[in-house]
Amino acid sequence: MAERTLHGTGATPRSGVGTVVWYGRDISLPDPDDVEVEPEPESQRFADAVDTARAELESEREATAERVGEDEAAVFDAHIQFLEDPTIEEAVETMIGEGHPAPNAVDAAFGDHIEQFEGMDGRMAERADDLRDVRDRLLRLLTDGERVDLGDLPDGSVVLAERLTPSDTAQLDPERVAGFATVTGGRTSHASIFARSLALPAVVGVGEALDTVEDGTAVVIDGDSGEVLVAPDDSERAAAASDSGAAVVDASVETTDGRHVEVAANIGQPAELKPTVDRGADGVGLYRTEFLFLDRETPPSEDEQYEAIRETLDMFPDGRVVVRTLDIGGDKQIPYLDQPDEENPFLGERGIRRSLDPDSDLFATQLRALLRAASDGAGDLAIMFPMVATVTELDAALDALDTAAADIEECDADAVDVEVGVMIETPSAAFMAGELAARVDFLSLGTNDLTQYVMAADRENERVGDLHDPTHPGVLRAIHQTVTAAHAEDAWVGMCGEMAGDPDLTELLVGLGLDELSMSAVTIPEVKTAVRDTEYNTASERADRARLAATRSEVHTTLDT
Amino acid sequence: MTVERTVTIVPEAGLHARPASAFVQAVNDHEAEVSAGRPDGDLVQAASMIAVTSLGVGQGDDIKLVADGPDAEAVLDELERILTTPEGELDTDDG
Repeated sequence: MAERTLHGTGATPRSGVGTVVWYGRDISLPDPDDVEVEPEPESQRFADAVDTARAELESEREATAERVGEDEAAVFDAHIQFLEDPTIEEAVETMIGEGHPAPNAVDAAFGDHIEQFEGMDGRMAERADDLRDVRDRLLRLLTDGERVDLGDLPDGSVVLAERLTPSDTAQLDPERVAGFATVTGGRTSHASIFARSLALPAVVGVGEALDTVEDGTAVVIDGDSGEVLVAPDDSERAAAASDSGAAVVDASVETTDGRHVEVAANIGQPAELKPTVDRGADGVGLYRTEFLFLDRETPPSEDEQYEAIRETLDMFPDGRVVVRTLDIGGDKQIPYLDQPDEENPFLGERGIRRSLDPDSDLFATQLRALLRAASDGAGDLAIMFPMVATVTELDAALDALDTAAADIEECDADAVDVEVGVMIETPSAAFMAGELAARVDFLSLGTNDLTQYVMAADRENERVGDLHDPTHPGVLRAIHQTVTAAHAEDAWVGMCGEMAGDPDLTELLVGLGLDELSMSAVTIPEVKTAVRDTEYNTASERADRARLAATRSEVHTTLDT
Repeated sequence: MTVERTVTIVPEAGLHARPASAFVQAVNDHEAEVSAGRPDGDLVQAASMIAVTSLGVGQGDDIKLVADGPDAEAVLDELERILTTPEGELDTDDG
């Protein structure tokens, strides 16, 4: 029996067990009465600490850009500017001149501003976090604090902290860290988002009770229930170690009556690849190529794209990697492309519409890179076109693919055989699923956008949040119509929206006839287990009743019984 | 030479996050002394990230810029460009 259970908010549906390493509570300021301060060397000490802190921030920025992404790395630019802020520098120098030790001067200079920002809301409160991060970094350097190196923790460490900043979380290596828990924070805080994208067990917002857990104690982090078990017994330990949410299932799965369902991962950045393999994904069901294009001055070259895709294919030697061609527009902006201001960007020039014109050169380059990677990489490549609304668009995209194939054959590349598919995101594509499927190998339902367009409800608008639910019968019927029409043309159908990763909906989706489900890495084991618990015939009958329901609540009654 | 200009903020984040970083960086890259503030309020040091973000200016707000120095015009041109470029279209100089 656990000695104690602490409660917080679960950030990831996964458990981990490990040994506590406290982070960031080892800074103590000198007592000004005990130290003699000579202003000149003290001022030099401050200047040196700023230099070191800048060097650290620059190298962390680089590492984060590489491992997580350019967006996450941008926070370090702000930190560097807070570090070099002239108002801070002036305040610190004045206090040192008056005989205060440098750490105390830094603490006081930042303190006022942190308080000021804390009292405000939203973005301003986030600036308080940034300032705290910069202050603590300087204090550590100035007090020679033996700060725990987050990038070099022993295997099986569980990190406990008051809070984890973006620069802290970027250093955590999911290979070695068993999880983390923090005193503050919520489900949408930076640390929680980071934990989910790397499938790292995490509990946030535990409160001050966490402070009583000592270094070196064994704990279980249950990121599903939001519990931290202190000093777990052997059975709790074993449960957490083996059953990280659900046990990882490496094999491919089928229902109790033998229907195979592929369970794959959605990938948005390279750092997600390894956790995806570790979580037992059969392959990649959605590889978003946008990250290759964002946050840079010019488009990536054909070779750069080739390398990225090739690397991914090599990680899934026995699996399939579905790569979506560039899908920009809507909410995604790319600086070096001329994107018009549109009244309704989600109903405007996005996805395949842009790839056919005006970005046809970019599209051709991408298709050549994909085909070359397919011919050299270990796994099977599938190419998927986004935001298709008409058969004419698909035909044009297929022509572009033929041209790209002819181009690389001229360059002596091996002839490559790849699967080709279409993303079903528009009501038109769902209605035309049969005609589209007749021309390709597969369809994949993007339920986030499909729901938005079927229900005419903006995904980001909370006021219509109730309408943005893929379990409305209207959406279920669009899914059913797509699957039925595609199967009649011998095409397989996948789903790569959020809905696919909800284990509570697995039975419904299998019953609707989906051949593949693709999701963020963290829920793959749960969904695989749910597929194994499903009987296809029963699921199919229930799915029929669900889609023929009149209201969403009737759908839910059907699913609950 | 002292020059003055009032600009309406375009980026969605206002003078925060990436636009604020780019703004302060641009000030530091020039010789001129720059101050900034709401048209009817006090001006603060534009080279200070803390001072600039504390202004709390959001999308659609006006901000007054005053620059004094040999490259005053140039710095104001650059700042205006940053403040009138929608988020995501801003070139970052660290690439």
